[in-house]
Amino acid sequence: MGEWVATATHRQTRTFLPPADFCPLCPTKPGGFPTEIPEPTYDIVAFENRFPSLQPEPPAPAVEATELYPVRPGVGVCEVLVYTPIHNSTLAGEPVEQIHKLVQVWTDRFRALSAHEFVEYVFIFENKGEAIGVTLHHPHGQIYAYPFIPPRVERELTQSRAHKDATGRCLLCDIVADETADGRRVVAKNDSFAAYIPFFARYPYEVHIASTRHLQALTDMSGAEQRDLAAILKSVIAAYDKLFDLSFPYMMVLHQRPVDGGVYDYYHFHVEFYPPLRTATKLKYLAGSESGAGMFINDTLAEEKAAELRAHVRPVVWQAGGAGKATTGEATGEEAGGD
Amino acid sequence: MQRRQITLEDGRYLIFYTFEEETAAPSNSDEEAGAPADSKRRAEPDAEPQATEERRV
Repeated sequence: MGEWVATATHRQTRTFLPPADFCPLCPTKPGGFPTEIPEPTYDIVAFENRFPSLQPEPPAPAVEATELYPVRPGVGVCEVLVYTPIHNSTLAGEPVEQIHKLVQVWTDRFRALSAHEFVEYVFIFENKGEAIGVTLHHPHGQIYAYPFIPPRVERELTQSRAHKDATGRCLLCDIVADETADGRRVVAKNDSFAAYIPFFARYPYEVHIASTRHLQALTDMSGAEQRDLAAILKSVIAAYDKLFDLSFPYMMVLHQRPVDGGVYDYYHFHVEFYPPLRTATKLKYLAGSESGAGMFINDTLAEEKAAELRAHVRPVVWQAGGAGKATTGEATGEEAGGD
Repeated sequence: MQRRQITLEDGRYLIFYTFEEETAAPSNSDEEAGAPADSKRRAEPDAEPQATEERRV
């Protein structure tokens, strides 16, 4: 079918929803049980996943390839990023300064993993909430360094290239310009980024965050842009939690250029959120049409859902050095929350 | 930002990231612009960790 599937049977035995007293991502307390992190505290930690889907030196495939079924070793890297030593926190609950630190760590890991010859794409993501299927509640994200460009990114590359060839312009630059000019689907914005529910949203509360400057990866960002990314992330995920007054589950993914040595100057960095909730108590299921045909049915209008989220966006406050540049929910000249 | 890398008993690496107070104050400056490129085509020496300490635990 032109897509690779990773077979990782050892992951069946991975830790599954342990009690808080035995969280493997908490610091190892003196006299306590040994966790993954052998020190009594930390700020942010990155480590190789104990149960990786891809490894730098993978075992030989368990089955032989045939002409019909190609097989290759699962080469790559799977990392875990632990956002904070505080077990009961969430990224939304962390101060913007901590999210800024995370952006810097993302940038560092992107750069380091890109240096591997066998890595062609570095995929940074977070699964949050049992509705998504997380097995550990401690705030953390993951990075998969793939030996190929994954299909969803490949599709975006193809469409971005086609748009560039047809118009001479960047597809995401056009979308960001259109969304910010229209305003109805904008959730938040600041000097460097716009957050919006795309016109073509597949999930009711799907939010994309795109840079207003044409750049392809975290490593292209200035210091000010890194801070602005942290601020708008804080705005969006805090608004998610306020929406139904619960810890909002989501998948968060960063889409950056491939790192295979090719030229991808037509591509545009952005973050995508796929929350599974369509109401406080109802999930958006990926059923027959979505799973079997790849055709999403969205029961909501992006304009209405964006207004709901925008009403919960609050200015981001940095703890030191003044108020900084607030991320606002302004979209159409109304006060944030005016919808 | 500082990195300190250790090696776990099973051979996996673990990196502790620590930070100065630099994250506290937003700025309009682009003083950190031009971070080293990431791709193999444009890889730079900075791709290697700084302040790395190998330690088996």
